[in-house]
Amino acid sequence: VQKMGVNFTVSNKDTVKSSDVLFLAVKPPIIPFILEEVGPDIEPRHIVVSCAAGVTISSIEKKLSTFCPTPKVIRCMTNTPVIVREGATVYATGTHADVEDGKLLEQLMASVGFCTEVEEDLIDAVTGLSGSGPAYAFTALDALADGGVKMGLPRRLAVRLGAQALLGAAKMLLESEQHPGQLKDNVCSPGGATIHALHFLESGGFRSLLINAVEASCIRTRELQHLADQEKISPAAIKKTLLDKVKLESPSLSVASASKVSLFTNKSHSSKKN
Amino acid sequence: PGRGRGPEGMEAAELRVGFVGAGRMAGGLARGLLRAGKVPASSILASAPSDKNLDAWRESGCRTTHCNLEVLQESTLVFLATKPHVLPGVLQEIRPAVGPHHIVVSLAAGVTLQTLQRLLPAGTKVLRLMPNLPCVVQAGAMVFARGSGAGDGEAALLKSLLSSCGLCEEVPESYINIHTGLSGSGVAYVYLFAEALAEGAVKMGMPGGLASRIAAQTLLGAAKMMLETGEHPAKLRGDVCTPGGTTIHALHQLEKGALRATVMNAVEAATNRACDVAED
Repeated sequence: VQKMGVNFTVSNKDTVKSSDVLFLAVKPPIIPFILEEVGPDIEPRHIVVSCAAGVTISSIEKKLSTFCPTPKVIRCMTNTPVIVREGATVYATGTHADVEDGKLLEQLMASVGFCTEVEEDLIDAVTGLSGSGPAYAFTALDALADGGVKMGLPRRLAVRLGAQALLGAAKMLLESEQHPGQLKDNVCSPGGATIHALHFLESGGFRSLLINAVEASCIRTRELQHLADQEKISPAAIKKTLLDKVKLESPSLSVASASKVSLFTNKSHSSKKN
Repeated sequence: PGRGRGPEGMEAAELRVGFVGAGRMAGGLARGLLRAGKVPASSILASAPSDKNLDAWRESGCRTTHCNLEVLQESTLVFLATKPHVLPGVLQEIRPAVGPHHIVVSLAAGVTLQTLQRLLPAGTKVLRLMPNLPCVVQAGAMVFARGSGAGDGEAALLKSLLSSCGLCEEVPESYINIHTGLSGSGVAYVYLFAEALAEGAVKMGMPGGLASRIAAQTLLGAAKMMLETGEHPAKLRGDVCTPGGTTIHALHQLEKGALRATVMNAVEAATNRACDVAED
């Protein structure tokens, strides 16, 4: 992070104080503790953006309202390919977040991929689809590469070709008006190689597996949200030492491994340390 | 009625159509032709060994006989609609009466154009037709292939006549067995699906008769939408699926059961069987 020229601190409070848009990027069970810690420093100008799966806007607003009457909260669900600026992001605005606040977030996230506003109750489904989606793709790519290797390709080439095939197909779909079923048909010449392969996929229940996966991820997200709402945190989810650190309210202590990075726009690229 | 000129100058009213073999498939085609008014009943002659099948033909106003040769002597367009294993013998029998004016259309599954042409006089206009049962209600799906002696005129005539029974397309002979797997036998797959749909409804509390009629109408309506809109079935399917709604829940069940693969297996099995039977 520091190599990127971003300001870095071990103090959560400092991050909050020098930011306008605040991304909460800690693991979901930690969110309540972070909110307790930084709540006093939240001001009307702050837009608090939570990326934590399963953490509802109302739970965040409730926690913050003890410190600030009208906290601006936006909930967002993104995915790892933001790293390569091909992320898939959705967001839902909280009670006190204005249209411009949402638009600001949208502008930021649109710079790293696709971003659109949704109703909050769809976010779990989005988690199941595009949140977890890259993992499904990596699994598929690993297996496709195996297939290539089995049929004689060197591993590196197999991985490269498999990834390019998925990338190309996704791009075709995004740029086409056509239904994916039609695009699939366009690849299947009668009695040819592809239709034989697809028959295998269908026999294995490929489609249903993918439906099951999206469903399972969505349902698990809801379960975790439910657990969080009841403030029942799985002990396994938090390392004991970490939890102890977070609970201590001394401002000089920080949570190094759960530190937030402020995306406060800092035009200077010098690696200043606070 | 229907006294206009058909393709290649043949007057539809003058066309005399014969059927060697008067079973279900022949009956279906004839009924289709009659219902569409393409050919008057008096111009249709059918032959069969016994009267068992012929009664229904006479009731429609068609002429009947027990003599296959007579069909060839009286008709221009002759449909060979016997059971496949009987056909070679029938061809030997009628061969002397087959002339250059005849158009011979074989319905026999598995009997190739090569075989037909071998057993008939050289240069005979031979075509091979694979219909399916709903020809009876003018909603059939038929494909035909032409032999070396048949030209554009014969193909056009056949297509024009049979379009009265449903969809009729010319294809290379190699597609005929696939058509069997898809649509010849395919009709049975649909009946199976309809039965299962109705059974599901009965389980949920609907009376069987009503469930059956609704199942049939559902299939009819869906098929009609496919044919009339020309849209990809995947798109039409998506159009029915509201997010989180009943349809997507049901479709998930179908996918879990690998319905698609099973259907593909069925078409493949029937096609392969048709090929095997042909080689016998």
